[in-house]
Amino acid sequence: MQTIILENLSKTYPGGRQAVRQVSLSLGPGEVYGFLGPNGAGKTTTVKLLNGMLTPSGGCCRVYGIDPSAEPAKAHTHSGVVTEHAQMYDNLTGMENLLFFASVFGLSPSDSRNRARTLLRQLALEDASDKKLSAYSTGMRQRLSLARALIHRPEVLFLDEPTSGLDPESAQNVNQMIRNLAEKEGTTVFLCTHQLRYAQEVCTRYGLIEEGRLLASGTLSELQRDILPELPLFVRVQHMPHGLPFQKTDEENLYQTSIHSEGEIPCLVRQLIEGGGDVYSVEVKHPSLEDIYFTLTRDRRRTENTEDTPGIQQQDRESGKEKII
Amino acid sequence: MNHAITAVIKKDFQAITANRRLFLSLLIVPLVLTVFVPGVFISIAHFMPEDEDIQMLLELLPRSSWASTMELTVTGLIFNNILPVFFLMIPIMASSIMAASSFVGEKEKHTLETLLYSPLSLGQIFRAKILASFLMSMTVSLISFAVMLIVVEVEVFLLMGTLLIPSASWLVILLLLSPAVSLIAVTLIVRGSAKAQSMEESQQGAVFMILPVLLLIVGQFTGVLLVSVWILLGLSLLCMLLALFLLKRAAGRFTYEMLLK
Repeated sequence: MQTIILENLSKTYPGGRQAVRQVSLSLGPGEVYGFLGPNGAGKTTTVKLLNGMLTPSGGCCRVYGIDPSAEPAKAHTHSGVVTEHAQMYDNLTGMENLLFFASVFGLSPSDSRNRARTLLRQLALEDASDKKLSAYSTGMRQRLSLARALIHRPEVLFLDEPTSGLDPESAQNVNQMIRNLAEKEGTTVFLCTHQLRYAQEVCTRYGLIEEGRLLASGTLSELQRDILPELPLFVRVQHMPHGLPFQKTDEENLYQTSIHSEGEIPCLVRQLIEGGGDVYSVEVKHPSLEDIYFTLTRDRRRTENTEDTPGIQQQDRESGKEKII
Repeated sequence: MNHAITAVIKKDFQAITANRRLFLSLLIVPLVLTVFVPGVFISIAHFMPEDEDIQMLLELLPRSSWASTMELTVTGLIFNNILPVFFLMIPIMASSIMAASSFVGEKEKHTLETLLYSPLSLGQIFRAKILASFLMSMTVSLISFAVMLIVVEVEVFLLMGTLLIPSASWLVILLLLSPAVSLIAVTLIVRGSAKAQSMEESQQGAVFMILPVLLLIVGQFTGVLLVSVWILLGLSLLCMLLALFLLKRAAGRFTYEMLLK
């Protein structure tokens, strides 16, 4: 069963701004989906659409089989949400805040207390549990928000910039928790961030969004294959034989070529050795998510500048899903 | 009542009582109206001269309002006809601050969105907010009544050597009319709070739009009290029906999008 489904989901605000444009994707249990893009790309709007806070202008979405715009309260029983604007009560302590949200989600008093204690311990907030929220730092608030979103054991977790304001140790702790939730409990995590390096650490699949359009979606290797099909291969060789497809770099004895898969490496190395070259090192540079993202956005801008805009829009409308370049 | 709604009501109560300054300001008006004003009124009734004009004025009143002495007639009139009207104002004043901040207060503190992500429907959230303010108003109102009763009876006993018997209209006012008027006011103020963009806007809406209208109604009830307890009962039931209708339709056409705007 797919836990999150978006079908040509669009949102145009009353002022006419198109925040989300025909986005289609689907996620299964245990996936950590990184929804990546710059500020104002439409990430938060998508989260709000998936939680019924906004009504779609076009298309539809489902969370655990429920249409959030039609039955938001029912959809919320399956989801937990952490966003910058979803804060908690300053006049209550950390524990009181969690107990309040637990009772709102219908947990029994004893279950609420046990669950709250467990989450506070996991998020290293045990010592601050009896302190008023007004005394919490930004990072502590962020971790408590995560505890609040998890209090009712949601099947789907929406996280909007979950590590903003966290110190590196806390961020690592939160990442581990997200991975555990996905792997051990099968929770689907929809993670919005503009920090691509962070996303690469924790996500299993990615969606790259810009100006409301989903530019590409897939695993890292799928994105590499589709967007940057040529992998740079670096070899450190003394006496480079003639006739091989290597180019000299600025560094001494370092040569570069492009390959389409790692399967080509043994053949190239064999040719180097048979040609009399002394091979000291062979290295393939796999593109990072950042490389992929910047290639994608640069290519898109170049296409927009050279081609007719209506042509691109037509292509968007036709393909709709997954890859819209 | 739904467990989740109870939790929201409890949380809103806690928010008001935790803020001591706000809580004290909420108690000042009821204390003035139930301790200071009745105390002064009864003292005036006790020390006023046996004036013929006042005697003639009192003779215009229904015979059932007459007592053995002019002093007791005036005191009874104050107790059974003027003080009950205060109990239409006290609950509204006591709940207006809480009701005015119900939605916009949460919006300003960025907690509204969190509450909206809960499994409560908009209708349930509205009802929880209204009931929290309503229960606060009723608590303040009933405590005020108890305090007023003690103050008045002690003062009357010390000055006049007797005790006053509350009329049947007190029962109708406290148990029907006051809750109904309070519920109407709270519902309107909470709806105003949901529409408002700032706390100031919501409070101004409550003070400048709703309170004058309600005080106008309150003024009319001073006369009704003199006529018949049955008319009072009928009007109270009408107000209660209106209050329940408004409560049921509280969420109206509000959407999550409108609330978060």
